[in-house]
Amino acid sequence: MNPNTPSKKILLVEDEDFIRELYVRQLTKEGFQVKSAVDGQSGLNMLKAEAFDLLLLDIMLPGMNGLQLLREFKTQNPNSPMITILLTNLGQEAVIKEGFELGAQAYLIKASYTPDQVVNEVKNALFGSSQQLPQERNQ
Amino acid sequence: MQLWMKFTMLTSLGILVPLLVSLFLVHNLFISITVGILAALILSGLIFLFLKPLKDLINSAENLGNGNFNQRVDIRSDDDFETVGKSFNLMADKVSHIFQNLEREKDIAIAENSKLNEVLSSIVDGIIALDFNKNILLSNKSAEEITGFTQAEALGQPVDKLIHLYSGDEEILSKTYCQSSFNQSAQLVGKNGRQTKVNLSTSQLNGRVQTNIFCILILHDIAKEEELEKMRLDFVSMASHELRTPLTSIIGYLSVFIDENKGKVAQTELDLLQKSLTSAQELLTLVQNLLNVNKIEREQMSVTAQAIDYLPIISKVLEDLKNQAVQKNVILNFNPPPKLPKVLADPLRISEVITNLVANAINYTNTGGKIDVSLLITPNELITTVSDTGIGIPKEAIPHLFNKFFRVTNTTQQADKGTGLGLYISKSIIEKLGGMIRVESEINKGSQFSFTLPLAERKSVGTINSGTFVGQEITAGALNF
Repeated sequence: MNPNTPSKKILLVEDEDFIRELYVRQLTKEGFQVKSAVDGQSGLNMLKAEAFDLLLLDIMLPGMNGLQLLREFKTQNPNSPMITILLTNLGQEAVIKEGFELGAQAYLIKASYTPDQVVNEVKNALFGSSQQLPQERNQ
Repeated sequence: MQLWMKFTMLTSLGILVPLLVSLFLVHNLFISITVGILAALILSGLIFLFLKPLKDLINSAENLGNGNFNQRVDIRSDDDFETVGKSFNLMADKVSHIFQNLEREKDIAIAENSKLNEVLSSIVDGIIALDFNKNILLSNKSAEEITGFTQAEALGQPVDKLIHLYSGDEEILSKTYCQSSFNQSAQLVGKNGRQTKVNLSTSQLNGRVQTNIFCILILHDIAKEEELEKMRLDFVSMASHELRTPLTSIIGYLSVFIDENKGKVAQTELDLLQKSLTSAQELLTLVQNLLNVNKIEREQMSVTAQAIDYLPIISKVLEDLKNQAVQKNVILNFNPPPKLPKVLADPLRISEVITNLVANAINYTNTGGKIDVSLLITPNELITTVSDTGIGIPKEAIPHLFNKFFRVTNTTQQADKGTGLGLYISKSIIEKLGGMIRVESEINKGSQFSFTLPLAERKSVGTINSGTFVGQEITAGALNF
């Protein structure tokens, strides 16, 4: 565990096993408390059960998709301070805008980011940007 | 016996017989009657002899007139009737011959016409011919299907009243489309408001008054094609998405392993994995290019221009490509000016463009070569130039360089990489951002690709002298990789 990283709670909702396991591994290594869900409904249930500081949310999910999950959560918890970062694939620019309207702060294109870059983005979102990864943030 | 002799005989008998009758009437009634009957018989025999050939001629002429062209007369009277009969037969021969010729020509005309009809009806495109008054002269089977009007309903009707063609909200009339080389897609509204999307091309025929055809419309049904095209695009989109998921895992795990094992595992071993990672990243670029082309074709390519700091973006791209250049022993030289104004660009997309141009330069430059990336500020634009000392591009290939799937065919094998999509995508992105991209190249000397990006705050034109468009090297703050 990285002693410099305050122990923030992260929920990762991602249906691809390998990607989910890899992100959980890297985030845990950085000292975050990470929980994960494999689909939208179980993700939403976990959000209802406890509070998280940050949600890493895949958009394409079986059953309830990421945007539906986010809409549902924001309707029930309009004042939640939780930060949301969308995990997207190449070619999903159209849905990103909708995600931002629902209150997402940033998006990551999974294929274009190494796991370390994902961790950096999470840190930036939680603790403010000190590193130069300007192009991924919503402006 | 000649005709005049027969006539003279008849005439003399006609005078003599009544004369004799009246002479004998007084003396002996019996004799008179006998002589009278005899005279009548002789007269009728003579009349029969005289009229028979004439009757034959009349009957034959009637028969011939009724279309029996084999009709001939057979008069062997050794007089003028025989001569007339022969003339009649001669005339019948000629008429019959002329008629046969006419029949043959009619058959040819019918065959030609049915050939034309068959060709027309087998054409998938709707074909409509208009006369000089823009009335429908001819329409084929496909035109019936597209417009909904049968030939019987369409023929002779003014085309503008029957078939309505729209480009957007605006109706296109025959006076517009009946021009040489008209070719445009349009919404066709036919019978009972039936709508079809067509490609309308026309050809105008000048000076052929005989046929009375003024203009020919070719209606190509594009609804089916659009459906197929959509299926193709959907498939490419789906396939690239499916390819990308496992690639993301491969790249993710490899990069984590390499990062965590630096210093723990021998560098030569790590290099093996580094090569796997590089290959996976190349594959990802290909998939990304396919997706990008797909989006350009769907007109879904989202390029959002915003005021951005360009230097960190280009620096990061060049940093990422440094390895590739080092591996090939090519010098990658970047000379940014000390201060850059903000440009209007899409950060993600412009990174793709720079990556593409520099990766191409590395790919097509031989070991020991050099690549210069330079920036030039003009009053309204920032010009990025990537020049290499590579193999160059043949002159004849340059006009096609930015076309989709175009590849320079005679490049040497060592540079035989890529799908021919990168420059096509780059051009689409730059143009969507309001800039332009261009190339200059000389074979075996090298290539220079330049693109412009609009400055976020434009100075009024002419306050600063703009530099030459291509290849101006700015040496301040050189940054060597």
